[in-house]
Parts: sequence; structure tokens; C-alpha cells
Amino acid sequence: MTAGQLMKLVEQGLQLVGNGDRSDLRRRLEQAMFRLQDPSIRVIVVGEFKQGKSKLINALVNAPVCPVDDDIATSLPTIVRYGEPASAAVLVPTSDSPAGNGAGDGGDGSVERRPVDLQDLPSLVSEQGNPGNARKLVAAEVCLPRRILTGGLTVIDSPGVGGMGSTHTLTTLTALPTADAMLLVSDSSQEYTEPELRFLRQAMRITPSVAAVLSKTDLYPDWRRVEELDRAHLDQVAPDIPLFPLSADLRLEASRLQDSELNTESGFPALVAHLRNDVVGKAQRIQRRSVSQDLLSVTDNLRLSLQSELEALENPANTPQMLAALEQAKTEADDLRKRSARWQLTLSDGINDLIADMEYDLRDRLRRIQREAESAIDQGDPGPVWTQFSQWLEECVAAAVSDTFVWTSERSQWLAAQVAEHFAADEVSLPVLHVSDSGDALDPVDQMPELDPGRVNPIQKVLIGMRGSYGGVLMFGLLTGIFGMALINPLSVGAGLLLGRKAYREDRETRLKRRQGEAKALVRRQLDDVTFQVGKQLKDRLRLVQRTIRDHFTEIADEYHRSLSDSVAVAQKAANSYAQEKEGRIRDIKAELQKVDALHRAAEAVSAEAAAGGTRTAAGVG
Amino acid sequence: MTASTTAGAAALIREALEVYGDDPQATEALQDYARRLAEPLRVAVAGMVKAGKSTLLNAIIGEEIAPTDTGECTRILTWYRHGHTPRITLHPTAGEPRNLPLKRVDGRLVFVLDGVRAEEVEWLDVEWPSPALQAMTLIDTPGIASLSQDVSARSVRFLTPEDSPSEADAVIYLMRHMHASDLRFLESFRDTEAGRSGTVNAIAVLSRADEVGAGRIDSLLSAAGIAERYSRDPNLRKLALGVVPVAGLLAQSARTLRQPDFEALQLLATLDRAARERMMLSADRFRRSTEPAGLTEDARASLLERYGLFGIRLAVVLIRNGFTEPTPLAHELARRSGLDPLLEVLGLQFQARAGALKARTALAAVGNLLDSRPRQGTDRLAASLERLQANAHEFRELRLLAALRTTGVGLAPELAADAEQLIGGCGAAASRRLGVAPDSGPEVLAAEARRRLVRWRGAAESPLTARSALEACRVVIRSCEGILADCTGRDRMGPAAAVSAGRARST
Repeated sequence: MTAGQLMKLVEQGLQLVGNGDRSDLRRRLEQAMFRLQDPSIRVIVVGEFKQGKSKLINALVNAPVCPVDDDIATSLPTIVRYGEPASAAVLVPTSDSPAGNGAGDGGDGSVERRPVDLQDLPSLVSEQGNPGNARKLVAAEVCLPRRILTGGLTVIDSPGVGGMGSTHTLTTLTALPTADAMLLVSDSSQEYTEPELRFLRQAMRITPSVAAVLSKTDLYPDWRRVEELDRAHLDQVAPDIPLFPLSADLRLEASRLQDSELNTESGFPALVAHLRNDVVGKAQRIQRRSVSQDLLSVTDNLRLSLQSELEALENPANTPQMLAALEQAKTEADDLRKRSARWQLTLSDGINDLIADMEYDLRDRLRRIQREAESAIDQGDPGPVWTQFSQWLEECVAAAVSDTFVWTSERSQWLAAQVAEHFAADEVSLPVLHVSDSGDALDPVDQMPELDPGRVNPIQKVLIGMRGSYGGVLMFGLLTGIFGMALINPLSVGAGLLLGRKAYREDRETRLKRRQGEAKALVRRQLDDVTFQVGKQLKDRLRLVQRTIRDHFTEIADEYHRSLSDSVAVAQKAANSYAQEKEGRIRDIKAELQKVDALHRAAEAVSAEAAAGGTRTAAGVG
Repeated sequence: MTASTTAGAAALIREALEVYGDDPQATEALQDYARRLAEPLRVAVAGMVKAGKSTLLNAIIGEEIAPTDTGECTRILTWYRHGHTPRITLHPTAGEPRNLPLKRVDGRLVFVLDGVRAEEVEWLDVEWPSPALQAMTLIDTPGIASLSQDVSARSVRFLTPEDSPSEADAVIYLMRHMHASDLRFLESFRDTEAGRSGTVNAIAVLSRADEVGAGRIDSLLSAAGIAERYSRDPNLRKLALGVVPVAGLLAQSARTLRQPDFEALQLLATLDRAARERMMLSADRFRRSTEPAGLTEDARASLLERYGLFGIRLAVVLIRNGFTEPTPLAHELARRSGLDPLLEVLGLQFQARAGALKARTALAAVGNLLDSRPRQGTDRLAASLERLQANAHEFRELRLLAALRTTGVGLAPELAADAEQLIGGCGAAASRRLGVAPDSGPEVLAAEARRRLVRWRGAAESPLTARSALEACRVVIRSCEGILADCTGRDRMGPAAAVSAGRARST
């Protein structure tokens, strides 16, 4: 099923909801529509510097969009996405926030798109034209009319890790929202090094969908050996990380000569297939499932009031019984909205615990840094190496802070799942009314009985909806995106080595003592600031997570509540209506019900198809 | 120049031996340092994994003896030193050293460890009758940032030991691009070496320079540009004396060019350019290609392995431009690979001040001993150490060089650059210090030295010169006087005498 067909279904749903008083259902469908219209699947290309990341992207889209140079490295992330005609823009922060250490200016500030000429882009993106990002750009964006980019694929070129000033460039990356998948590029000159694998392990905590690329196979006769070695290393990190040996040069040459054999030799077709089927395909499956869940839930809600009315019209005798059942369900739904509901308690307790743990974790990490710094200062003279020392401190702090962020993000996702479980356990089942069977008019059924129960359990159902919804994107995106990439800075040398045994002759100098005292005070103040600022940031984010989760589930509970109230109202009204009106109304309702049922069945089909299309998807969401 | 410093260091060690005569451990260590003073300079080849350390070592020796491989290869510290007959000795972490059988495959040594695991080997000692090893002992180290942590840890431990001066007097540090790990490592090396005066015993090499430009024919130009930029980079300037680009693989193979290789290259040169370009699109294509007819697949594979695409491209172009004999071709390839400049820099920076570098290590050892095992009667020894460190002009030069490159001494930029050159920052030979042609006669040198001397005396007396810079001026003036004495007194007395005469005058 294509996005277009899905959009038609959603439109049908919107028509059914009509302009009536169910604005909540309408909003839900409108959001689904919005997501369908703007599918963006981000694939971030990462790796150490000078591994051929930019060239890989150029070869992928067959256009010189990312500057390639022997020496000068990419300094800004470049976003390459579909657009007709080709255009380019740079993203500039709107408010002139001071360049913080990445902890302070997380990326809440909005950015402004400023169109530039496609030709000027290289000079803006590279270290040469924009040394140390003096222009304070956040990212560059290129739109190209390429077939591979249709379907929402967005490729992001990132500044290499491990180069000089990588801390600086990485903080710019953090302004980007989360990535759906990641390509780790390493060239065929050698097997993975320790920093590369450390990077991979860290990054996989954030973006589990990873593929490895072995670049520059044209240059190295022994790339097959390297591939073997790398394969073995990857298998130790995680099973089934695909590895693609490629040559960007051959691909570019192939498209220049229109030589399909050369193209095959370049190894790109396999990567393109992977991106199309596994990355884009998977993202689309998730989207299809989330849209179909939206449709199913909307049709369930619509059907409830229609069926209650129909039941009341056709079997007036049963109306009081039905009303009682509806009222009870309504009370249950009401309970779910109350603060005392189990999921609400889980959420508020969980967030409070999380905040306390996070603060402890952050303080603990920073205290350890402070201790190391102080003992290093005690051993040597901090004066001559203060610049390096403060850089060391900054890097340590950045690493510690990003560790805390990742940890917090993992914990908060776990909490969301926990809340979903409790919500699902207490969830009100919408009574489905069997019009023909007058004997047992009220027959609460399992949630989603029509769905293959093996594939989607209630928790997943709620979570799928959450990941797909706007608030969910916000929540999952914020935490993981912000510090996503800043966490990698291999710190092998301790502060002790920096200061070393440099000044053993000056031990008795009082000036030295004073310098040491000042240095320690500076370190303490700096770390105090970091604890304060980062703690605040994290607390705010966690509160936001809490709000997002609460809103999401409250909305669902509200929908139930409204549907049930509506049903009660229409059933009462129906019982009092006149006979001649009844006939016409029954006809209308039946026609309407038929439409709702048709849409429901269509949505089920989509959901089943999406579930069948990827059993891995289910695992990924749960 | 070096004679007096070395003698001073030797005397200091003798003095220390007297003081620590009843401490067998200290005695053994000190005797070891005394021996080192007489041995060739120890130069370690270090770098991240797969930076091309063994390949470059082979190129410097001029023979392919160190084993190399696509995967991580060197896992054991290996010393290559001069000996009249080839011999390999294995030093295990526990137990007695023993000889290994001498086995070579394709010329390269194969270390038959015979069931001993690499972790149990402290180091391998290879004695080899190579003239290149007479001047310096080379130490091949396992790469840092290796996936097998203990391999990396071992290198780091060797190069930057916790409690004694490093086993190596100087380091050639190989890197592909300047990686953060590279800087960190250089940083740590600088630190432990002889307390404060670091920076003067490391040369950085931009290895695998041909790969910088993806094997294009102008790759080395590109690499030279990068090396130039790195050598101006303030981070690296503090840590290494210079940056030299070298295409290690090409350098190694050029020095060992074989007749069959040459014939194969000649065959390739007969192809027209378009056909060649097509064939050399990728290494795979080159190996598969059927043109030219006379070239077997094995020969192609061997060419690729030994020269890389860049080497083949360059050799073919050179042959077409008139290098039709193997020997001139080999020389030209070696020159273009960047090996010659590297050897030159090694000569100027390391060999010319080998004595000072070795003495530095010995002094640091004595200093360490004094620190770690203070006892009665060491005051005099400490005073001797202090005197030697303060008075030996070479140490003052090295110290000033380090200061100029790290913190600065308060001189104006152009004066600082001039000072760096005069105290031997570009090489210790008189012509390098004065920045004149290497073959200049003593009159030219003397005239130039006089001119500089006047300039620096002026600077020292100028009221505008900062107080902190005065000490630097004094050192530079003494260096000028030394050069002057050296070239004017060369006819009358030996150079060593001339220097000590110059020194006596200036103190």
C-alpha cells in the first residue's frame, strides 16, 4: 500500500468524522495526514574523518553536493533530501545564543532557513571557507530531484569524529533531531580501530539501525581481507549489522560513462537496496501501522455511538440495560483520566525517581572528574598547560553529560513502556453492540480482537501510536537527538599525564601553590555551573517527557470518555424519538455504519500487511 | 660539540655509581645507561595501528625484513640493531632470553615463536648487518588504538614508562591524518621525557601519503601541502620538530626494486594512456585486466602489493618520461616517495644531536634515581646534575627550543623564528642554523654568523626586549659564538676544541 492510498483512507476517515463535534478524532486524523504528507527518514552518515563520507553521499545522489577534499574536512552537517527543482539553503539560528558547551544550548532555539546558491555551498560547509564555523551555521540543506530520495529518504553528512576540534563540530550536530538509521563509514586501508568500535557501540544505544560501509575499495587491493576482519569485529558488537564494501569513485565514473557493469562493481546497488528496503521500508511500515492504528481507533469510536443509537432505535426495550453498561464504562474511562489512575501514579512516581537518579548520576560523574582534576593539579603546575587542561576538562564533562543524557533517555523510554503497560491493563473496552443479537446486547470484547494477537499486544499498540504521534516524535526525538552524537570522545589520557611530572623542581614555590589553588577553584566553579545548568536542562526535558506521555494517554482516555458520553446521549435521545423518524434514522445509521465498517476493514488490512511485512518491526517498537 | 656533553653525562653516571654502589638494582640500571651512551641513538617508530610503521622501518633500513600485513601485524616490540651476523633473540617476560631460528619468506623475517604467545614476549632483538643500522637502532612498536588493548598498552608502556626515562631517545611518529589519539599520544610522550624539556625528540611523519589523494598522480603534492599545514599547527608544533610526508610503501619498494618488477612496469608503460586509465580505475580491475598480454596475474598482484596503484602510476609516467633504467628509476621513486627528505631530517635533527639526546636520557635517569631513592651523600650528585643541565649549552639549546615552541619566551615573532633556527630547530648543522646553502665555505658561514651575532647582541641590549626574553638572547648569542668559533677555528684545531674554546669565552 502506498502513501497515496493511505492518504485516501485518512481522507475518508475525515469525511466520516465530518465537521461534527468530535474535534478530538478529527485532530488525530489530521495529524496522521500531516505525517503522511511529510515523510522524512533520516539516515546519518558517520565515521572518523577522511574516510570518504562526503564522497559516498555524492556518489549516492550522483551530484557534488558535499565538498570533497584531500585535506579540508567537512565541518557542518549537510542534509540532502528530495526537492524539485534542486536548491540549497543554510540553517541559521534565529536568536544569537552564545556558543555554549553543548550542554546549555541544546537546540531548543529555532532555526531559520536562508536560501543560498548551490555553487556557494561547498565554501560554507567546509573547514576552509568556514573555519571553526565562524559563521555560526547549524547545518546546510540541499534538495535534489533524485529517484532514490523519493519516499522521504534524507541523508545527512556529518563532520568526522576524531579530528581536530571534533568537540566543536559535534555540538552542531546535536541540533539535529534523531536519526532513523546510521551508516558507519570506514575505509578499506585497515580494519576497525578501537575508537571506531567504541563509537559504534555508543551510537548503537541511540540508533539501533546501523549499517557499516567499507569505502574506497578501488584503492586497496586487499579490501577483501579487511572486509573479513571488519565482519568479525562487527559480529562481536552485534549480530546482523550489514557491511557494504563500496567505491564511490567507481560509482561516479560509472554514472559518467553510463556503465551499468561498473556501477555493479562499485557496490552501490546493494547499499541502495538496503536503504530502500530496510531503512525506508521499515520506517514506512512503522508509519503504516501507526496510521492504521489511528484509523482503527477512530472507527471504533465512531461505531460505538452509531451502534448505540441504532440499538436504542431498534430495541427500545433494552435501552435501560444498555445505558447502565455504557454509564459504567464511562465511569471507568473517567477513572482512567483521574490523577489517581494507576498509570498516572506510575508516571509521576517514575519521573520523580528518574529525576532524582539523574541528578545523582550527573553529580557522581562530575565529582569523579573533579577528583581526578584536583589530584592532577596537586601533582604538577597547571599554569603552562592550562589551555590543554581546560580542553581536557571540557571534553570529560561533555562525555559525562552525554552519558547521563543517553542513560536518562534509555530510562525514560523504559518508563514510557511501563506506563503503557499499566494503561493497557486498565484500559476501558469499548462495548460493541450486536444489533441482531438481542439476548446479550452488551458484550465487551477484547481490545482489537480482529488483529492477529501474536503480533501486536496492547502495549505495543499504545506505543506505536505514541511513536507515530507528534508528541511522541518530540519526546523520542528530543532526548536522543540532542546529545546523540556528542557522546563520542575517546578519552585515553588522564589529566595526570597532561600535567605530568613537569615541575618537580618547583615544588616549594608559593606561587605554584597559589596557582594550584586558583586552578582548583576554577575547576570547581566550572563543574558547579555544569551541574546546575545541565541539571536544569535535564529536569526540564524529563518534565516534558512526563507531559508528553500524560497528554498522549489522557487524550486516548478522553476519546473513550467522549465516545461513551455521546453514546449515552444518542441512546437516550433515540428512545424518545417518534416512529416515523425512526425509520429514516435507522436507514441513515446503517448506511453510515457500512462506511465506517468498510474503513475499519481497510485499516485492518493495512495493519496486517504492515505487521506481516516485518516481524522485526514489532521487536523494534516493543 | 657532543663530545663534552657525552663525557659530562658519562662522568655523572660514574659519580652516581659511586654513590649508589651498594644498591645492585640502581647499579645495574646506571651501567645500562652508561652503555647506552656509547651505543647508536635509539629511535622508536610509533603510531596508530596500520599507520605503516614496519613498512617505513623497512624503507629506512633499505631492506624488506620487518614483516608487514594487511591485518594488524606487529604485536611484539622489535628492536633492529646493527650486528655483523643476522641473529634474532627472544626476550620472554619470564625466563632466559633465547635465540630464534632465522627464517625468511620473500626476504621478510618470520618470527617462529614456537608456541610462545605474543603476550609472553617482552621484546625481540634483531641484529642485522645493515649499514643504516650503524647510525641508529630502530625500534618497531605495536600500534596504539589497537583493538587488542594489551597490544596498545604495551607500546604505550614502552614509550612512556611510569618511573624511568623512555627506552627510546627519539621517536618517529607516524600518522595518517592528525587524529585526536595521535595528539594525545605525542603529548604523553613529551611529558615523561626528561622532565620539562620535551618537544625536541619527535618527528611526525604523514605516512601513507599516497593515499591522501586517493592514489592520484598528484597525491604527494597534496600530502606535502597537508604536512606543511600540520607543521604550522600550534597543537602539533609543541609536540614534534617537523612533519614530513612519506609514501611508505613506495619508499620501501623503490629501495628494493627488482628486475621483474621493472620489466612489468616497462610493459605497462607501452600501453596508451586511455587503456591504462581504464585498467587502473580500481585495484580489482587492474588485477583482472588482460592487457598488456605479457603480464601474468601473479605479476600484477605482486606489483599492486608492492607499489600500490599510486606507485604503479608514478613509475609508468616516469618510464615514459625517460627513466628507462632500473637504478635511476628506483632513485627517482625513492626521492618522490618522500623518503630522502625524511632521511635528511632524521640526520639533521636526530643524528646531529645524538649525543645530546642520549645524554638527556642519562641525565633524566640520574634525576629519577635521586628523586626516588634519596640517601646520604646525594647532595653533591644533585649539584653535579644541576650544573650539567644548566651549563651544557646543548641542553640549554634544547630547553630554549622547547620553550619557544610551547609557551614562548616573549620575543617578537620574527626574532623567535630566527632564534629557533639558530639554536638548531631546523637542524643542528651550522649551515642549517644560519640558513645558508649546505656547501657554503667557512668564510660565508663566519660572515653570516657574525652578522647574526651582532643582531642578537643588539637585541640583548635593547631596552625594548622583555626581561623574560633576555635568557633566550643569551643562549642564542652563545650558539652564534659557537658556530663562529667552529668555522673560524676549524683550520687551527679540531672542532671539539674550537667549541670548548668558544664556550670558555662566552661563560
